[in-house]
Amino acid sequence: MQIACLVVDRAVDRRGVGNPRAWSLTWLFVSPTLLFAAFVLVPLVALGIRGWQDGEVAGRLTSPFALQALRLSVVTSTLSLALALVLGVPAAYLLARVRFPGHRLLTILVELPMVLPPTVAGVALLVAFGRRGIIGSALSDVGLELAFTTTAVVLAQLFVAAPFLVRSLQAGFEAIDPTYEDVSRTLGVSEWRTFWRVTLPLARPALLSGAVLCWTRALSELGATLIFAGNFEGRTQTMPLAIITAFESSAGLSGSIALSLVLLAVASMLLVLVRFAHLRPRGDL
Amino acid sequence: MITVDVQKQLGAFRLDVQFEADRETVVLFGRSGSGKSRTLAAIGGLMRPDSGTIVVGGRTVFDSAGHIDVPAQQRNLGYLFQQIALFPHMTADENIAYALTGWSREARARRVEELKELLRIEDLGGRYPDRMSGGQQQRVALARALARPVEALLLDEPFSALDEALREDLRAELLRLRSELDVPVICVTHDLREAHLLADRIAVVEEGRVLQFDPRSEVFQHPASRRTAELTGVRNIFPARGLGGSRVEIDGVAFEVATPVADGALLDVCIRSERCLLRRIEPSEALPPNCFVADITSELAFGNSYTLRFEPVGTGPAVEVEVSSHPYDVLGIASRKRWVVDLPATDLHVMPRG
Repeated sequence: MQIACLVVDRAVDRRGVGNPRAWSLTWLFVSPTLLFAAFVLVPLVALGIRGWQDGEVAGRLTSPFALQALRLSVVTSTLSLALALVLGVPAAYLLARVRFPGHRLLTILVELPMVLPPTVAGVALLVAFGRRGIIGSALSDVGLELAFTTTAVVLAQLFVAAPFLVRSLQAGFEAIDPTYEDVSRTLGVSEWRTFWRVTLPLARPALLSGAVLCWTRALSELGATLIFAGNFEGRTQTMPLAIITAFESSAGLSGSIALSLVLLAVASMLLVLVRFAHLRPRGDL
Repeated sequence: MITVDVQKQLGAFRLDVQFEADRETVVLFGRSGSGKSRTLAAIGGLMRPDSGTIVVGGRTVFDSAGHIDVPAQQRNLGYLFQQIALFPHMTADENIAYALTGWSREARARRVEELKELLRIEDLGGRYPDRMSGGQQQRVALARALARPVEALLLDEPFSALDEALREDLRAELLRLRSELDVPVICVTHDLREAHLLADRIAVVEEGRVLQFDPRSEVFQHPASRRTAELTGVRNIFPARGLGGSRVEIDGVAFEVATPVADGALLDVCIRSERCLLRRIEPSEALPPNCFVADITSELAFGNSYTLRFEPVGTGPAVEVEVSSHPYDVLGIASRKRWVVDLPATDLHVMPRG
C-alpha cells in the first residue's frame, strides 16, 4: 500500500512524463479509488437531496428540541476539548520527550479508548462514577452526583475523544528536532518560555488537527453518553442522541435528517479549515 | 578563559578530555564520533558529565565534587549548532531578538540592528528562514548566538552544512569577528584545512581523549604520536631504529634527523608529503645524505598540486610526495619517472614508537 502510494506520488510529481509503469499502476488504482469516493459521497448527497425535498429543514432546525440539542452539543464538546487540552498537552509532551518508567503503559492507556467500543466506555464510566460506583459512591456521600448529568456528558466525551488529541500532538512533538529546544536553552531562555515560544508553535499543525479530531469526535459521541449520562432532553440529549430520538419518534426519518445535515455541515467545515491550516508551510518541519 | 576537565561514560564509549582556552580560538579536531561535539555539549550545559570541572570566565559552571551544575540558560555562552536550527516560525529579526527577553523594545531593536550590521545581513530583517540561503541562515544564527553578552563562543561544525564556496566566505568572516569579539572561541571540526585556518591551538581528539593539545604549528609540524600524525594528514610515517647521535635507520637507509636519539631505540619517523624534495643527480655522483633513488609508481592530479607515490630502487622507504603544479611542469616530472628523493633532516620528525 505504502509502496503503491510512493509510485503514484512520483508519477504525479513528474506531471505525466514519468515512467510508463508507474502510470499503468495509477490507472489500475483509479477505479477502486473512484468507487470508494462514490461510496462516501452518495449517502451524503442523498442526505442533502432528501432534506431539500422535505422542505421542512429550517422549521425543524429552529424547533426548541433541535436548538436545545445543538446548544448542548456545542457547549459539552467545547468543554471536553478544553479539558482534553489541559490534560492532554502535558501528557503528549511527556510521552514525546521523556522516557520514564510506565511510558509504554501510558501509551497503551492513551490508545485504549480509541479502540474500545464507546458503549463499553459508558459502562465502565458508570461503574466508576455512578451512584454506587467505586468513586461515585464516595462523591455521592458528599452530595456530588455525576451520572446522568451534563457533567457526565462532558466526561464521556473526554474519555472517548481526548486520545485523538494526545496521539496527534505526541506525533507532532516527536517530529520537532530537539536541537531547537537546545538552542533556546543556550540562549538563556527558560524551559517554560521555550515550550510556549518554540515547542508549541512548531507543533501547531499537529495541535490544530488533533484539536479538531478531538472536538468532532466529542461532537459525535453517542454510546458512552447514552449509558453514562442517559438521554434527557435539555440536560444530556446532545445532537447524536437527538437524531436517534427523532428517528424513533413519530417524525421518523425526516426528523433525523435535518439534525444530521447540521452535524454534516459542521464536520465538513472543520475538515476544510484544518486542510487549509496544513497548507501553510511555516512551522512545518 | 575556559578550563575543561570532564569525564562521561556513554555505553562503551568513554569521554575523558582536558584542555583550556584563553582569549584565542581552540579547535577540537577529530573524526565524527570522536567525542568532540559531546565535549562542546558538556561545556554548553546540554550534556551532564559524570565527573570533572568546567570553568568559564572565572566562574565554575560544573564541578561534580562541589555539586555545581549551572543550567545551560545561565552559562552565558554563544552556541552555534551544526544544524543551524533557526526557528522556522520566526523572521530573521525575531530569531536574533529571541534571546533578548526583558530588554526594552528600543534597546532590543538597536541591538538587532547592531548585530545585523556586524554580520552584514541588514536586508534580511523580515525574511523567514525558508527564504534564506544556507550562508544567510548561518549568519543569522551567529547573530542570534551573539545577541547577549557572552563569555565564550562555541561552534559545532559551523560550516559543514554549507557548500565549499560559501564556507570560504564564512571562515574569513569568522576570522574578522574573532578579532572584534575578544572572548575564547571553541570550534569543533573534522576539516583539516578549517582547523589550520581558524586555530590558535588545536586539541586532537580521538575515541573520547585528547591525543595532543598544542599550538597549531606544533601540532602540524611536530605531532606527538603516530596517531596524531595520521589524523593531521601526515602521509609518510615510517617505523625506524635509533643509531645514536642524531641518526636513524629507515628500511635499510640511514637518515640524519634534527633531534638526538638513543642507539637501538624503536621510533616512528614522519615527514609531510609537501616537505619531501625531488632532485636530479647524475648517476656518477655520490648520493648526498638523506637521499635515495626511487621510481614514481602512481600520480594523482589535483589541479593545483600533484601527489606522487614513490617506490625505492634498492633500499629505502616508499614515500608520497606532493608537488605544486608549477615545479611539476618546470622539472618535467611528467616525462621522467626516476628521481632522487631527499628527506631533509629538519623536516624528519621523530616520535616514540606508537
